[in-house]
Amino acid sequence: MKLEATSLVKTYGKTRALDGLSLVVRDSRVLVFIGPSGGGKSTLLRVLGGLETADQGNVVVNGETLTADPAGLQAYRRKNGFLFQQFNLFPHLTALRNIALPLEKVHGHSPADARGMAEQALDRFGLIDHGHKLPAQLSGGQQQRVGIARAVARKPEVLFLDEPTSALDPEMTAEVLELIQELAEDGQDIILSTHEMGFAKAVADQVAFVAAGRIEESAAPAGLFGDPQSPVCQRFLSKVMRY
Amino acid sequence: MKRHLLANTLVALALVALVGWLSTTVFAMLGTQTDWTKAWEYRETLWRGWLVTLGISIAAFCGSIVFGLLFMLGQRSPLVVVRWTCRAFLEFVRDTPLLVHLLFGYFVIFAPLISRPLGEQGWDDKLLIGILLLSVFEGAYLGEILRGGVDSIPRTQWESARAVGFSKLQIYRYVIFPQALRRVLPAMAGLFVSLIKDSSLLNVIGVAEYFYNTKNFISRSYAGLEGYVPLALGYLVLTLPVAWLSHWLEKRFRHET
Repeated sequence: MKLEATSLVKTYGKTRALDGLSLVVRDSRVLVFIGPSGGGKSTLLRVLGGLETADQGNVVVNGETLTADPAGLQAYRRKNGFLFQQFNLFPHLTALRNIALPLEKVHGHSPADARGMAEQALDRFGLIDHGHKLPAQLSGGQQQRVGIARAVARKPEVLFLDEPTSALDPEMTAEVLELIQELAEDGQDIILSTHEMGFAKAVADQVAFVAAGRIEESAAPAGLFGDPQSPVCQRFLSKVMRY
Repeated sequence: MKRHLLANTLVALALVALVGWLSTTVFAMLGTQTDWTKAWEYRETLWRGWLVTLGISIAAFCGSIVFGLLFMLGQRSPLVVVRWTCRAFLEFVRDTPLLVHLLFGYFVIFAPLISRPLGEQGWDDKLLIGILLLSVFEGAYLGEILRGGVDSIPRTQWESARAVGFSKLQIYRYVIFPQALRRVLPAMAGLFVSLIKDSSLLNVIGVAEYFYNTKNFISRSYAGLEGYVPLALGYLVLTLPVAWLSHWLEKRFRHET
């Protein structure tokens, strides 16, 4: 994927979540944002994913300039996938229905087709036995995996994952990260934010360190983790890598 | 346990004694005046009135859903003017008696406006205007119930729905309403019990519903108990099923999230 963000500014009341952020990614499969909480990772991801528009600046993803026009953004969201930390699934629908409903209503597949595609997506991630269950009957890890299955069922151009494992215990985290790695190896373009440094190192083509609403540093994982340039990034990494 | 058993028995006895005493006194005063054949003689008008009440309830039920949805959406409108107008109107409707709406709405607003054309078309203007006013009144309460239900759905659900590409209408239709409705169904059922009872007030604008016909029967035949007992029973037949439904729904959805 190609990505170019120029001088993005996004304010919520008095806080500047994005403060003139710029980022250029020429060709990358998996782009990972790391950085302290409240540093703007989520906001950046939401702007890139078309869930929110920046107050200033512009974004070009794979040659397409993101508009502020709601219909244009909706079309953009429809060809991408987005997963949040938690509560992605619709609690009144079964896992299968969660995946099939958007295929049917958003992408215009017939109910039978949508069901077939949903079953395929569940099967691919070893979740087919859970298709009839409501989200409340699934573990957190299973819920996130169903969420990912829903996001990739319609073959998104880019899959956006906002701290997909932050609400999970270590075992479930591993199960979700494994799945994401599988997707990456299958050639899925992914932009994700995470606090799992080991995972970022293993799966990313490019890692960007986001703090105080700016990109402090952006490099291949070996470079960024092995030899961080900016003092903020050095301090952050030495702190999180200590244990 | 034993102490409670004793207490329960004593209280029950006292209650039975009280009701028994009240009944015998009342019946003694009424003497032989109570004549149930009177009610039988008027059975046709009573039956017709009851059917009208049933019809009003069903029509106003549908009408209140329409107005309730409109009021709910109005309060969520992106236009601040619409939001405030809606808010003010709801506050006015909810804080004034239905009786006033009916008298004012019928005699001052709607009767001069549309009574004649309605009459010429062969419609019962009082009935239609009464149903409209009742729908607006109950719709105002329903709008608040629905708004509460929609507001109680977490923001993440809107976000997820947007993320999978649903349009605004689809978000309401497939994600928000199904969840919100489950939460507010018991409250809605409770409101419909009120609606059925409130329909009796339509007698003030001369709608020939159950209360109106019973009142006429009572004043014409000097009936007492023979009029009021069927009156209460007639409303109970309508309200009890809805109340039971409400309790059943409440139990059914209590543990579901």
